[in-house]
Amino acid sequence: MKLNFLFPNKFKRIGWFTLIPSAIIGLLILIYEYEPSFLDFNVPAIFVDELTFTANKKTFRMVTNNILNEILGILIIISTFLVAFSKEKSEDEYISKIRFESLAWAVYFNYAILILTFLFIYDFAFLWVMVFNMFTVLLFFIVRFNWQIFKLKRISL
Amino acid sequence: MKNSIKVERAKKNITQAELAKLAKVSRQTINAMELGKYVPSTVLALRLAQIFGVEISEIFTLEDSDWD
Repeated sequence: MKLNFLFPNKFKRIGWFTLIPSAIIGLLILIYEYEPSFLDFNVPAIFVDELTFTANKKTFRMVTNNILNEILGILIIISTFLVAFSKEKSEDEYISKIRFESLAWAVYFNYAILILTFLFIYDFAFLWVMVFNMFTVLLFFIVRFNWQIFKLKRISL
Repeated sequence: MKNSIKVERAKKNITQAELAKLAKVSRQTINAMELGKYVPSTVLALRLAQIFGVEISEIFTLEDSDWD
């Protein structure tokens, strides 16, 4: 009853304030392939498969990598979780039911979209699908859940 | 499942918001229950019975469709 996997309500705001700028910056650096050299670091890697013709596969090495996309990816995921899984101001059992139904809906929807992209998007363009698909299940959930809550508040005015 | 929350609320002369506060849920939840859109948990049903001072079966009644 008490274990609900949710953060306190105030984290929702923190989530939005982090998610919006990091999603915008993340999208921009993806489009413009921006990699500032001061963020080039030697980092430990479990597995590296360099994009070269020699198919250079390495395991447990240090590699030079620009960490900007890692930072933004982690920020986006954490902030998305805060937005998605912070309690509503009046979180109760009905809201929780709507929450978990929305989550199930989002998983179905996300994978339905993914199947469509399997069928209709090919080659390098599919890489973009994979990049976005890392985040879309939670984004679909956020949209669905907030829409359901909005509708609920409207019918009970 | 049918319920007589609205009737019991009228008898006690309290608003949805007041009942929500007593039952420690949101007003939307009270509204959804009155509209038959939401079946409460046993805990919430028992809380409502206690608030209204009646037996739980006086508020909630099974319908045939609940056996499907």
